[in-house]
Amino acid sequence: MKITKEIVERIEGEAVLELEWEKNKINFAKIKFFNYRGLEQIMVSRPLYDALVITPRVCGICSSAHANASILAIEDCYTSFGENLNISAKAKAIREIVLNIEKIHNHIKWYYFTILPELKKIDNNGKKTAYAFAQKEWFEAQKAIVTILKAGSIFSGQWPHASFLMAGGVTCDPLRSDVTQAQNIVDEVIDFCEEHIFGMSLSEFLGIDSSIQIMGSNSSLSDGMDILMRHGFDSIGRSFDKFIALGESYMYDEASKAVKTTVVKADVKFVSESLEHTFFESKANGYTYSKSAMYKKNYFEVGPMARLIIGKDPLIRDFHRRFKDSVVTRVVSRVAEIAHLLNRTQYLLRHLDISQVSCKKPKIHLKVLSGEGVGAVEGARGSLIHRVRVKEGIIKEYDIITPTVWNLGNGSQENPSIAQEAIIGIDSISKADIVFKSFDVCSVCTTQ
Amino acid sequence: MRRKKSSIVWIQGITCNGDSHSFYNYESMKSFSKDFEMLYHPLLLLKKSFQEIIEGEDAFDFLIIEGALSKDKSIIERFGYGMEDIVDALSKRAKHIICAGSCACYGGVFRLRDEKSIFGLLFSGKQKGGYWKDSSNVINLSGCPVHPSWIVDTLYALKENKKVITDEFLRPKEIYAYLAHHGCIRNEYFEWKVDCKGFGHKEGCLFYEQGCLGPMTHANCNKILWNNVSSKTRVGSPCVGCTEFDFPRKSLYETQTNMSLPQAPVGISKRAYYALAGVAKGFKIERLEKRLMDEDN
Repeated sequence: MKITKEIVERIEGEAVLELEWEKNKINFAKIKFFNYRGLEQIMVSRPLYDALVITPRVCGICSSAHANASILAIEDCYTSFGENLNISAKAKAIREIVLNIEKIHNHIKWYYFTILPELKKIDNNGKKTAYAFAQKEWFEAQKAIVTILKAGSIFSGQWPHASFLMAGGVTCDPLRSDVTQAQNIVDEVIDFCEEHIFGMSLSEFLGIDSSIQIMGSNSSLSDGMDILMRHGFDSIGRSFDKFIALGESYMYDEASKAVKTTVVKADVKFVSESLEHTFFESKANGYTYSKSAMYKKNYFEVGPMARLIIGKDPLIRDFHRRFKDSVVTRVVSRVAEIAHLLNRTQYLLRHLDISQVSCKKPKIHLKVLSGEGVGAVEGARGSLIHRVRVKEGIIKEYDIITPTVWNLGNGSQENPSIAQEAIIGIDSISKADIVFKSFDVCSVCTTQ
Repeated sequence: MRRKKSSIVWIQGITCNGDSHSFYNYESMKSFSKDFEMLYHPLLLLKKSFQEIIEGEDAFDFLIIEGALSKDKSIIERFGYGMEDIVDALSKRAKHIICAGSCACYGGVFRLRDEKSIFGLLFSGKQKGGYWKDSSNVINLSGCPVHPSWIVDTLYALKENKKVITDEFLRPKEIYAYLAHHGCIRNEYFEWKVDCKGFGHKEGCLFYEQGCLGPMTHANCNKILWNNVSSKTRVGSPCVGCTEFDFPRKSLYETQTNMSLPQAPVGISKRAYYALAGVAKGFKIERLEKRLMDEDN
């Protein structure tokens, strides 16, 4: 048996894949992350609200998702202590707007900064072509990213590392003119997406239910699809066809899991973190800092494909019917979610009632607050969970489970994780690299 | 006609990538790319791979360092190389070194886990001497994250051989001579000592109760704004002092007081500040006690 070590780069950092080969096919893969930061440790002994500043620093690309998970965990502490904080519809909408915008930015950035250049390279016999900082399309995508984040920053003050959340609501109190500006900025990004990504109007795109309609469009999405199909990614990268989404979304009624397309209710209390194969379990025998997240001891895939399968989206269901949970379906899901998020964000902005209260101060004083709280949100890459235990306002324990540890855990040959299963059976490094990247891996998030 | 492009190599230590993502928020990236060439950046497929950069010998203009540094390979390595192999080798080939963000400058949030082995490049918190003792070609651009304009403006100044005047932490004064307080639209409430009644209001100053560090934080945030549109204080959140060596302080949403008095703003004597504050507090300014948009008049 041959063993090779490969470095997967440009995944918000790097990971090392230790691949076992048999008959020129990958038989097993160990996924290794070597960098450790210890933010969960750093938060211990600090006042609870400090988590609102520190947790965004887990990740420069999904800092608002961390802030959102953190505030839900903090508010859950109040609930466990007997006070149900009543968050206004306005504050809830602003939280979702900021989170949606971060996700839109993530998906556009992933498509143009990460996956499309790699696909172009594969299609060019492995030779790089100058793309980032070179081609018009890249500059326009970068401009769209700048633009959409500006809309979010009207409410969050800045991106990345925004501070706009507080127990009881949000700290901002926007004017009508702020909302108008945000609406018009989001509209500009819709224009960009219609012209470049969808190749049709947003409403048309939201109405299509067949993969053929995407492939027939004139857009960078269909360009990417074309390359993926030509290189067989419609049958590569399949995993267990098991999905989970634990954060709230307007696309489904409740936290759910799906096996193939059968959707049932799920509960965050059944989530556990495995230390198997990590340096935390054994300094001598561990081989990664990355933990593995499991639901009732089983691996589930998280991310846009999971959300859209659970949300019974007709387009993604069609892709899934034809190509299962392959790279193609995963890539299209990530891009198609941009359309849903833009539409939803415009809806929220249009209906934002700015006359409501931004933040209702909790009655319980922070200094006496003791209890435990859990917060789950759907970040760009999937379900993100924060758990905190607080005593008299001071953090005693903080635990973060990121989307990447759901997808990129380390199981065994008999019971591989989502990404391991997706890579087993592949016959080349360059294909395995694309499969890996199709999960939109975030290395920094993986090891807090 | 455009001049010769200056070359940039961007590397990362212990980081969240926030400074990289902040940099990619720069609005005039196309114009920037006419004057600068990014040879290597960890997040993008560019001209050079990491191996080509580290094994090469060519000189380049700018080495940008993001993230805290450590010689402990068990917590930070890139492509099998420890930070010593990367930073020391590449810095010899760079004309200028820029530390982008508070982690590279002082060690930042990640230094808090182990102050003995995690540093900024030239500072360890406030202390001079970090990963290196000293160096003559380093500019620090602190901030968590760094603002994209701070990077771009500094790159242009150095490219054009302009003298960059710096403060004691090697930060350009053009940026860090300002305080986050300057340009804050709540300034009138600060002058008349009217505090913010909780969170989520347009009115009131966040300095007295909510822990705002704007008057003691060096940065032009409220002058140039973030994402060209806003800032923390504009959305009712206190400045957390992210450009300073002690970021993140403990109790970020509470004002630290001494005998129930807040700290005096930077460079202002306690006597001067408390005397003025006492006078201002003695008057009740009705307009400032009311909502900004009062429906009654």
